[in-house]
Amino acid sequence: MLFNSLKYLLFLPSVYVVYYFVGERVRWCVLLAASLLFYAALNIPYLPIVLSLVALTTYSFGIWLDRAESHRSKRTLLWGGVTANVLILVCMKYLPFLSSNLNTVSAWFSVCNFSPAIFPTLVSIGVSYYVFQAISYLIDIYLEIEKPELHFGYFALYLSFFPKLLQGPIERSSDLIPQLKNRYEFNYDNMRFGLLLFTWGFFKKVVIADRLGFYADTVYNDVHAYTGLSLLFGTYAYAFQIYMDFSGYTDMALGSARLFNINLTQNFNSPYLATSVADFWRRWHISFSRWILDYIFKPLQMRWRDSKNWGTAAALIIAFLISGLWHGASWGFVIWGGLHGLYMACSAIWKPYQKRLYKALRVEKTPYLKSWQIFITFNLVSLAWVFFRANSLDDALYVVLNLIHRPVSNRIIDMLIGTGINQYNLMVLSISLVLILLVHFQSGKVRFTNCPTWFRWGVYFLLTLWVILFQAEGAASFLYLRF
Amino acid sequence: MTTMEQLNVIFKTVFDDDDIMITPEMTANDVDGWDSLSHINLITTVEARFSIRFSQKELLTQKNVGDLIRDIESKLAAGN
Repeated sequence: MLFNSLKYLLFLPSVYVVYYFVGERVRWCVLLAASLLFYAALNIPYLPIVLSLVALTTYSFGIWLDRAESHRSKRTLLWGGVTANVLILVCMKYLPFLSSNLNTVSAWFSVCNFSPAIFPTLVSIGVSYYVFQAISYLIDIYLEIEKPELHFGYFALYLSFFPKLLQGPIERSSDLIPQLKNRYEFNYDNMRFGLLLFTWGFFKKVVIADRLGFYADTVYNDVHAYTGLSLLFGTYAYAFQIYMDFSGYTDMALGSARLFNINLTQNFNSPYLATSVADFWRRWHISFSRWILDYIFKPLQMRWRDSKNWGTAAALIIAFLISGLWHGASWGFVIWGGLHGLYMACSAIWKPYQKRLYKALRVEKTPYLKSWQIFITFNLVSLAWVFFRANSLDDALYVVLNLIHRPVSNRIIDMLIGTGINQYNLMVLSISLVLILLVHFQSGKVRFTNCPTWFRWGVYFLLTLWVILFQAEGAASFLYLRF
Repeated sequence: MTTMEQLNVIFKTVFDDDDIMITPEMTANDVDGWDSLSHINLITTVEARFSIRFSQKELLTQKNVGDLIRDIESKLAAGN
């Protein structure tokens, strides 16, 4: 069930009404049943079984870990629980990739007749998200940061809570479980903010992201037909499509959860205004980047601390390669992660010299430097998106090698129209993007809830009308759903 | 000098700021330039100055200056 489907628009209020009217003691049962129904509605029978398996395994290992006396048995149990989760993820997501690469390698060397089995590709929607949450739960118990949850129902709900089940945010048990246990009382502000956030996310997805997708898809599904600026704009269109798509989804998830008085982690903070790639990762998919930072990067960095910046650089590259692989079993994602790791590793080594250079040039804290850094960071991130979006490695290399090329036409508008986007779409996009920018720059200065009633209701009405009138044709799936 | 005073000297050197006055509640958010890169410099300098070696678990659970002081003092006490 997708957030932008009619089914979900009926499902969410129905769940809320049942949740509101039942007694406090069984409210968690309503949310758990709704979450399982939501997952089962994908019509992939093995997915709820995988979810139950992860929940049961992690719940049991969590309790055993807490009860273990010696450091050695705690360590063994941690590795047992983490390995079980990783194995489930590998079976669901990576076996076809591993077997096809093993086949290729064995064919290269042809020293033996080894031919691994070919595994079918399984649909693994949501699995990467709840497996990561399960791993963080076990590590936090091992580090004695958290106590295990003894109530299996609340623990299963922590993993499966439907607003964040398919695409995150990746929540820590310490943040979510206490909120799930709080007594529910109707809160008008939460209801209003939740519905507004949901509609705002809907607007970002169906009006902007899907419309940008027309252009990005046209270019990326036939890259060899384009050169130069068309490829560059196709790449920029994708950069904004994936941002609007994913942040729109996150707004809808946060909005849905807010109806039940639950605050999920905000995943985005104007990522394309980042002044460095490290800053980008503090603003993009925040719950995921925190996970990678806390559970992969930091342990490696600490282990290799005697090598100083070189140890940090190596830890960054490994952490981001894993981050790439998490997104999917393809070399495009691995290169995307590797590029981000490389950017950050170079930055770690270059940083002390960079500070001295800026001091010598007397450009520290100047607006010019900041604008330049934003421009460079956005283009570095966009370059990495090429490998993330391209249908194959050949396509990605073609795009990178032909990005800077003499344009066939000097008129940008002709190029855009030539690749499928029409003037109507361009107009809707421009007005919508102006609206996004207005909200962004006013949000820190004006408190929406303090505005007069006529203004607030005018905004609700116009936003809903804008979504109904200008949603892009054909409901597209969310881009991050496949990860 | 107390552990806190010795640690304050290290902070001044690592973050190149003579005005730093550490407190047990202080976190990375309170010190300009305390990021994951400078954190490694801080930890290796502390280990060298006090002749101690933190375990992986200690390093991953230190949330503020107070936690760091607690771990330094417990290491020094175990060594004496």
